[in-house]
Amino acid sequence: MLRLNFLLLVAVMLSALYLVQTQYESRRLFTELHRATNESRNLETEHQRLQVELRAQSTPARIEALAVAQGLQGASPAITHYVRDTQQTGGAQ
Amino acid sequence: MRRGLNYTSSPLLASKTPAWRSKFVMACVVFAFTGLAGRAAWVQVIDNDFFLRQGEVRFARTLELSANRGRILDRNGLILASSVPAASIWAIPEDVEKNTPEELSKLPQLAKLMEMPLDQLKKKLEEDKSFVWVKRQLDWDVGQQIKALGIKGVYQSREYKRQYPEGEAAAHIVGFTNVEDKGQEGMELAFEKDLAGKIGSRRVIKDRMGRVVEGVGEDIPPIDGRDIQLSIDSKIQFFAYQKLKEQVIAHKALGGTVVVMDAKTGELLALANYPSFNPSNRKRLTGEQLRNRAITDVFEPGSTIKPITVGIALENGKVRPGTQIDTSPGRINVTGSTISDTKNYGMLTVEGVIQKSSNVGTTKISQQLTAKEMWETFSAVGFGQKPQIAFPGAASGRLRPYKTWRPVEQATMSYGYGLSASLLQMTRSYTVFSNGGNVIPATMLKLDKPPVGVPVFSERTAEQVRKMLALATGPGGTGQRAQTVGYSVGGKSGTARKQVGKNYAAGKYRAWFTGMAPIENPRLIVAVMVDEPSNGTYYGGAVAAPVFSTVVQQSLRLLGVPPDMAVQPQIVANPVEESL
Repeated sequence: MLRLNFLLLVAVMLSALYLVQTQYESRRLFTELHRATNESRNLETEHQRLQVELRAQSTPARIEALAVAQGLQGASPAITHYVRDTQQTGGAQ
Repeated sequence: MRRGLNYTSSPLLASKTPAWRSKFVMACVVFAFTGLAGRAAWVQVIDNDFFLRQGEVRFARTLELSANRGRILDRNGLILASSVPAASIWAIPEDVEKNTPEELSKLPQLAKLMEMPLDQLKKKLEEDKSFVWVKRQLDWDVGQQIKALGIKGVYQSREYKRQYPEGEAAAHIVGFTNVEDKGQEGMELAFEKDLAGKIGSRRVIKDRMGRVVEGVGEDIPPIDGRDIQLSIDSKIQFFAYQKLKEQVIAHKALGGTVVVMDAKTGELLALANYPSFNPSNRKRLTGEQLRNRAITDVFEPGSTIKPITVGIALENGKVRPGTQIDTSPGRINVTGSTISDTKNYGMLTVEGVIQKSSNVGTTKISQQLTAKEMWETFSAVGFGQKPQIAFPGAASGRLRPYKTWRPVEQATMSYGYGLSASLLQMTRSYTVFSNGGNVIPATMLKLDKPPVGVPVFSERTAEQVRKMLALATGPGGTGQRAQTVGYSVGGKSGTARKQVGKNYAAGKYRAWFTGMAPIENPRLIVAVMVDEPSNGTYYGGAVAAPVFSTVVQQSLRLLGVPPDMAVQPQIVANPVEESL
């Protein structure tokens, strides 16, 4: 009887320790997840910011200004060579 | 000296302690412990709300999970508006140390980073408040630099700021948001519900250091706003804006507007107004700059409406394109009022009436029509109707019920006076000619499939009017300057006198041009309006048509439409070096 009690006591102790450990682990993982989610959102925002910046650097207004500065002129049908698409019927002629 | 007594033989022990005393002490101890146990049970099990609440107040926090506002994209997926993180600087004035020279020396740097006069900054930091916004929505990088300064009492929080890469070229369509990221104008306002996200929340427990330790309860995830894809093509938009701006400045006009519409789908490819504004910097903004003239302003369309009048007559079989109409002597009297042309054109065909833009000819054609017939078609192509377009403040213009029309009014309406329409309505009405006689709704959003049109004219009528429009831009027409290199065009110029109060003002005009290209199978409808050109020339054919020409030519090229007219190639091959 005493032996059984002792065994049960040990089992309870182990289970309690395991509970503490699990609780600790779950908190650690939660913190990690929270941090990772935050980082993912931050990166996403940063990605959007960079995309906007990229776009801002390639707007028609900027390209036009740069092209003019280099002495380029806009294309017109007179200086465009049109190639007929012979592969597709009904395509662009 | 020896101790005289042994413990065991102490006389004090001889006297018997009464038994009740130990029992009494025992009872006291038991009672005290029972009290404690009872209290513990009360606090921890039965009435634990108060302590649970207090515990939560100390450690549990609700974090706000911000949602991104949706982006506004052009038809090719290029960004027209997007939110980026911004740093907003705030301060607790009493925490800012103003006495130590070290801290004081940081303030000029702070002022410089925020592009704010130092005096203004100091004034803000001396306010008798526990919280002041110093400057909101600074660039994120600037915020990081301010953080690096490490000024005591100055803090920053993360906000979102809207960026508009296209700047003033697309300002009127895209609109803008306020400092709270709420739409105020344009598509930002029209699609506020879709663009705005829903913030989420998360309940967490934080430790003494403010670190998140554990989540409690359920998370409400944030829902990001939806992206809106417009029908606008940012290249065409920029080009249209630029050409319009150049023309408005060159002709010293008050302003101008241009609309480019896909002739088959009704999608707006560009809609530009000048004067415009920079949506990222809206200081000293005037109503004049802010107004989207193409949609909110209505004008008398003048001669640009003549093709529709002629279309009604053709459709009802009253005239044929070759029917002769005598416009001499260049005047006509309608119930006491005189309607005149700029000169006597004599005998004209119906085609010639459009080509020369004869008021007398149009009046004579309209006299063969009933007011009801005209009203029905004008309404069907959208005059006097609120445009079905998702844009705040779209004007419906004015078209009075036909029963109130007097004969002279019917005559003036046939050539565009006595009714009013916005440039957008005017553009849309021309879809009836570009789309086989079916009028299609205008839209600002990219469509997956072409909309179903409402038949107004027959295919044949539409084709006949298109031919007349082409003549008007050809030799002897009023809109010759609308011609382009490589693409056939057709269109109608208009020069409308401006109404000031109840009368027409002398010397104040609006120059119009509405047309389409390529004329056989139109891809684009372009309408241009220049308000009060005051540089000597004011005719639509001279002021508005050149804008039409350049915009059409560039837009068709950008859309990859091959030229339908023979072009003299000017391609210069790479020069070959001569061998010695």
